Amino acid sequence: MSLFSYARPKALREALGLLKNGTVALAGGTDLVTLVRHGIARPDKLVDLTGIEGLRGWSREKGKGLRIGALTPLADLETSPELAKLLPILPLSLRDAATPQLRNMGTVGGNLMQRNRCWYFRDESVPCWLKGGTRCFAVDGESRYHAIIGAHECLMVSPSDLAPALIALDAEIEFASSLGKRRIKLNAFYIAPTGKQRKEHAIKKGELITQVRVPESALQRRGTYLKAMDRKAWSFALVSVAATARISKDGKASDARVVLGGVAPCPWRVPAAEKLLEGTELDDNACLAAADALLANAQPLRDNGYKVTLARELVRRALRSLVA
Amino acid sequence: MPGIRVVKSRDEFEGEIYESLAVIDGTDLAAPPAGTEFEQIGKPRARIDGTQRVTGRAVYTQDIQLPGMLHAAVLRSPYPRARVKAVDASKALAHPGVRDVLHRFNSPKAAFRGEETIFREEVRFVGDEVAAVAADSAESAQAALALITVDYEVLPHVVDLEEAMGDGAPKLEQSGNVFDAGSLKRGDTRQAFKDAQAIVEGTYRTSTQMHNSLETHGAVASWDGEILTVWESTQHVFGVREGLRAALLLPLAKIRVICDYMGGGFGSKGGVGKYTIVASLLAMRTKSPVRCVLTRREENLAAGNRSATYQTVKLGGRDGRITAVEHLSWSNVGQAKWVANPTGPTNTLYDFENLNTKSYRVVTNAGSLSAFRAPGYVEGTFALESAIDELADKLRIDPLALRRRHAGMAKDPRTNKAYTLNRTLECYSIGARAIGWSKRVLGGTKGSTAHRRRGLGMATQIWGGGGGPPAYATVHFNSDGTVILRAGTQDIGTGTRTVLAQVCADELGIDLDRVSVRIGDTEGPYGPISAGSLTLASVGPAVRLAAKDAREQFLAAAAGVLETPQRELRLEKGHVVSKGARTPIADVSKKLENNTVIGKGSRFPNPELSIKTFGAHFAQVEVDVRTGEVFVEKIVAVHDIGRIVNPMTAASQVQGGVIQALGFALMEERVVDRGLGRVMNANLEWYKVPTVVDVPEIVVRFTDRPDRKANNLGAKGLGEPPIIPTAAAVANAIANATGARVRHAPMTRARVLEALALVDAT
Repeated sequence: MSLFSYARPKALREALGLLKNGTVALAGGTDLVTLVRHGIARPDKLVDLTGIEGLRGWSREKGKGLRIGALTPLADLETSPELAKLLPILPLSLRDAATPQLRNMGTVGGNLMQRNRCWYFRDESVPCWLKGGTRCFAVDGESRYHAIIGAHECLMVSPSDLAPALIALDAEIEFASSLGKRRIKLNAFYIAPTGKQRKEHAIKKGELITQVRVPESALQRRGTYLKAMDRKAWSFALVSVAATARISKDGKASDARVVLGGVAPCPWRVPAAEKLLEGTELDDNACLAAADALLANAQPLRDNGYKVTLARELVRRALRSLVA
Repeated sequence: MPGIRVVKSRDEFEGEIYESLAVIDGTDLAAPPAGTEFEQIGKPRARIDGTQRVTGRAVYTQDIQLPGMLHAAVLRSPYPRARVKAVDASKALAHPGVRDVLHRFNSPKAAFRGEETIFREEVRFVGDEVAAVAADSAESAQAALALITVDYEVLPHVVDLEEAMGDGAPKLEQSGNVFDAGSLKRGDTRQAFKDAQAIVEGTYRTSTQMHNSLETHGAVASWDGEILTVWESTQHVFGVREGLRAALLLPLAKIRVICDYMGGGFGSKGGVGKYTIVASLLAMRTKSPVRCVLTRREENLAAGNRSATYQTVKLGGRDGRITAVEHLSWSNVGQAKWVANPTGPTNTLYDFENLNTKSYRVVTNAGSLSAFRAPGYVEGTFALESAIDELADKLRIDPLALRRRHAGMAKDPRTNKAYTLNRTLECYSIGARAIGWSKRVLGGTKGSTAHRRRGLGMATQIWGGGGGPPAYATVHFNSDGTVILRAGTQDIGTGTRTVLAQVCADELGIDLDRVSVRIGDTEGPYGPISAGSLTLASVGPAVRLAAKDAREQFLAAAAGVLETPQRELRLEKGHVVSKGARTPIADVSKKLENNTVIGKGSRFPNPELSIKTFGAHFAQVEVDVRTGEVFVEKIVAVHDIGRIVNPMTAASQVQGGVIQALGFALMEERVVDRGLGRVMNANLEWYKVPTVVDVPEIVVRFTDRPDRKANNLGAKGLGEPPIIPTAAAVANAIANATGARVRHAPMTRARVLEALALVDAT
């Protein structure tokens, strides 16, 4: 572990002023501390955000949807009875995320910013492409947990459980920097790393995530989250799926969203696949057609063909459950 | 009464029979018959050290802090195979806090398991020891590792079992990578296969399972110029002492090894480790105590594992019986010189008339095997017991009925010696009733939700666990009537302290809380390794004899104090009882002032019979045929291990064994990148062990009949039996539920889905 200095400002402005080159923001630390310990992150300075009060908690503003502060502990969303009524997909997505202890420490902003879990990336001594090396070792290596779709030079997968759920709610993410505020679709926050952008997140230098917003329209949709793991708890998703749709009184779907986790470097969404669901009753055929469209370009590696089977069935189940 | 004499003893250890000497004294006691009521034995008793453990007061090796203690860190090879040509440690030595650096060019010779030094010239796996640093702090030692420059000549390597078996692999030894490691033939398999009405043939694989004891391997060494004292997390304090003697050439009497509390070993902590020698050498050179404890990552590189295996099983059946058996097995041992034989169960579990088994050792550049809870038998039973179900299906016989025709025999088919006891058939009956076997239908039943199928499966287990000499104990009274029991053993987490205290208390007629147990220290009398499920069966009988000796001597002394003939006195419920009077033991011992008696006991040799443990596991599972998810709902574990001394700690052993077996069956698997030779999941994130949510209902049953011919307690071992048959029972249940046969453990989603795709069970 390298040496670093540490600051714990009380105000957002102060924190923003400290974000220079070599400075890394620390919230719950559940990811960053392990990255530092394993030599993957080597910050000169840590800015601990946990002293900043205004970024914690969530609220609903009538007509304006939901505002979730970046420092809100995951456990607060998971265990909130109001949220369970309002947007059950969010607590559902967190139910199997890590462990209760990690959900107590981990924050919404940190969860969205977490780095991938690829074992080549996380092994300090492997010079993988994402760390500036020349190649991805998963291509002809041990690939059971790697991407089946949407990858370029790097085969890591998006690990977050919360991100697919929020993207299925059309969420936006807001940043602050000393220059001002900026808001983008959460979907656009995730990058499949390429030669031009050798990184996972579309965050700029000096920016902090301050909040996530869920639009009012998303509150009208039903939603669910399914996650397949290789044991019954405390695992990142082999495949996960977040699905939302508005269901009319006569059982017809509209405005559907289907987002996969664990299969691609980004939460994986194909709008054309969602369109196939428009006006259907989410019967098996419609669901499987959407799943097939979503996975049409899948190119499994030596060890991860099972993810295609899993994803197809999870998509079907998630969508079916919206009308069940 | 006969005095000291030497006799021969035959003991079984991890599937092999060894002849040894036993020095015995006096006469042994007979094992109490079935139905004998004890105050302690047979009663559920909470662990006598439970409070210490759960309050955090128990001191484990990792907790040892000594004044001026240095911290050692080990530099490990980043290459799976390379020649260490030069080491430059000058920068590391100049790093603040660093006291010493050891490597192959400056280290004294220190023999380790047949090699002359702990730092090899040719490093043979990623994680092989190259150098060690001692520094004032763990951080300083760790930082100094990066400052050591090593000149490696990288050599061609192979880490994968099946690659190493192939022609294209680099030869790691002059004669290649594959070595014969034992075979057995009975009858005429060629003719029997010719005559068979049905034949099944399958290839089975098991992946490398890693121990991942909660407490990693490690030692703290302290040298005072005269005595080397080593605290170590070990299954054998005397084995560590012997290993240190061989490495450092110190007299045994100058080495003391202590293991008070221990956070698990599962076979991997059977003797001295390189970390022990590193800590000791550094302590002797720096004249400061040195702590060398592995990190979780190091634990998963260099602390041993259960070999991956590639096995083929061919079975022939005729007239409702298994008439021909061929079982070949290859094990990835890393650089180990031995094999945990997967064909052991095939050789001994059933009365197969025509049998041909062979086992091969395959060397690779992956971390070496070390014993892992029923080594070989877990892997072999998975293959054999899966194949038997496949044959039963083909013969259209209930798989339990087929096994009944071959199990429960009176004689050991390998040695032709009679068993002391074999209650396999009773295990079958108890288990079948508890799981509801009569409701099992071919092809399984509907599950609890759509796309789930439910099935039942079972498998049988055989293992040793008879123990044997040498093992010693002493018992003496304090002046307040309390008792100190010393025994040459260690509690590796199984509850050894508690069961030994029970045996001692019963023999003395005193309460459990009057007995203090002192174990885990080479300053006491010798005792065996806590492995091979032999601790209780080896040490327990010695404890009983020591307590009996102490009792008789105490009564003789009491006779003098109470002025009553000794023959009229007995110890009962904390009192010296005579015809007319009951005197508390404390009153008698008080009168004796600090005069005491010291009872001693030793383990007598085993009879010229075969002593085995038997059992059967039954599994009820559901399988989601669309997602490949396996839900183990219930495991019924039935074991025949003789008399149960403590039903509570025994049940705990079975539960632990079943849970570890479910890890092997469903999720635990070392993943090594073939190009890099690196373990990619040397952590508890991607190396999956079961969580509490993965644990099903576990029903524990025992036949609980004393094996009176085995030893004076009639008790046998239980550490290993419960991990042996679970995986096969689960595989058989999956096959019953879905028709899909998964022939590779762990049975992950990918493998279950692949097998399901072959039978179209959706």
